[in-house]
Amino acid sequence: MEKYFDVKYLWGSFPMLLPYLQVTFVVAGLSVLFGTILGLIIAAMKLGKSKVAQKIANGYITALRCTPSIVLLFLVYYGIPAIVEIFGVSMDTVDKIVFVVITFTLQFGAAMAEVIRSAYESIDHGQFEAAVSVGLSPFQAYRRIIFPQAFVVALPNFGNSFLELIKEGSLAYTIGLIDVMGKASLVIASRINAHALETYIALSIMYWVISIVIEQLFLQLEKLFSKGKQVIKPA
Amino acid sequence: MSETFDIHFLIQTFFVALSGVPTALIVTIVSLIVALPLGFLLALTRINRIPVLQWFSQVYVSFIRGTPVIVQIFIVYSSVPLFLTSLFKFYHVSVDVYKINPIWYAFIVFGLNSTALMIEVFRSAISTVSKGQLEAAYSVGLTNLQAFRRIIIPQTLVVALPNICTVTINLIKATSLGYAMSLQEITLKAKVAANANYNYVEAYIDIFLVYLMLCSLVEYLFKRYEKHLRKYKTVAA
Repeated sequence: MEKYFDVKYLWGSFPMLLPYLQVTFVVAGLSVLFGTILGLIIAAMKLGKSKVAQKIANGYITALRCTPSIVLLFLVYYGIPAIVEIFGVSMDTVDKIVFVVITFTLQFGAAMAEVIRSAYESIDHGQFEAAVSVGLSPFQAYRRIIFPQAFVVALPNFGNSFLELIKEGSLAYTIGLIDVMGKASLVIASRINAHALETYIALSIMYWVISIVIEQLFLQLEKLFSKGKQVIKPA
Repeated sequence: MSETFDIHFLIQTFFVALSGVPTALIVTIVSLIVALPLGFLLALTRINRIPVLQWFSQVYVSFIRGTPVIVQIFIVYSSVPLFLTSLFKFYHVSVDVYKINPIWYAFIVFGLNSTALMIEVFRSAISTVSKGQLEAAYSVGLTNLQAFRRIIIPQTLVVALPNICTVTINLIKATSLGYAMSLQEITLKAKVAANANYNYVEAYIDIFLVYLMLCSLVEYLFKRYEKHLRKYKTVAA
């Protein structure tokens, strides 16, 4: 290993890494999509009347919160094929990205369940009653009255979870998915492990920029949607 | 992949994984010991708008929160030895930097990481304590140090505790990435045990159970402590 730091390799890493951002975003996008649906289901279970469903939802959220992403990733990667194999189906040909998306869907779902629940509970129940009393159907009341208000409350937490997801997504390289992180390790390997530091710094700058952009985006969104927000006045 | 599910191995490896708990806890505790006071002080620089230090902590927090922990680990793990070798060469110290116990790197990474998270936790917590509290403390003759120790810190701590709990849980989870520095903690130990016969499913179930127990326990302890601290809580008028 050469014992000096060379900025040339730092700049050189960007064109090599940038195309693979696509993979990172595809993983994040799909996980957000499925994770939000899962989160809705779990939040509904937690808010519902059934005690069994509540227990299941609580257990799921606790278990997922206590599991490091990397452990969950490997559990999914080794566990699901093992379970499926019992039924005589082989998953050898399935692309690795599927396992990554499943993992982060499970994790994002748990985070979203809490976000959705707290946002829903922050809306006064009188809003729903008022909506129904003026003749809206329950579905209309949810769609027109509850959802727009809960959405604004949930937005900052959603943004945080999304950022968390993008960062945790970097662990997908451990099962061999080639996203930006995976590409970075390949680039380092191709340089015979020299100049690892420069590559990682380039990678960290990319993540940093993405985070700042997403953070600002969510701040702007929050501003945009807060327009109609009512300020709660103490009675 | 192994042919059948090996219960015997599952039980055996559970204790192997359990033997990694002390390492994970030491890293967590040392990081918190570094992060709590440092985070509090840097949070004060943000609140009191001290130039330079304020900007420094702002950029620092932004960087740590904006990059994955694994990348931070790799940066420290590849830059510190480089830095130390040239430093040792300069002072003619004959220490082989590649023989340093990886736990020291873990202290550096997770200490730096949790300091940034603590700055944010304390910043929001301190701002909830009203400024009048400090003025009142001064007016009855407390010194600056006394005012903070007796009045501000206890109240800040009550507000900050749930978030400190979250940071601690995340820290324990993040130590699982210590494998990248060949740190002998829960994940690595169980994984190495599984390498012999490819019993990865069993090994990861064990790791999962150990983290579940560890985090539930930590969460429970924080809840108890929170109850104990609640007597300091100011009731909003």
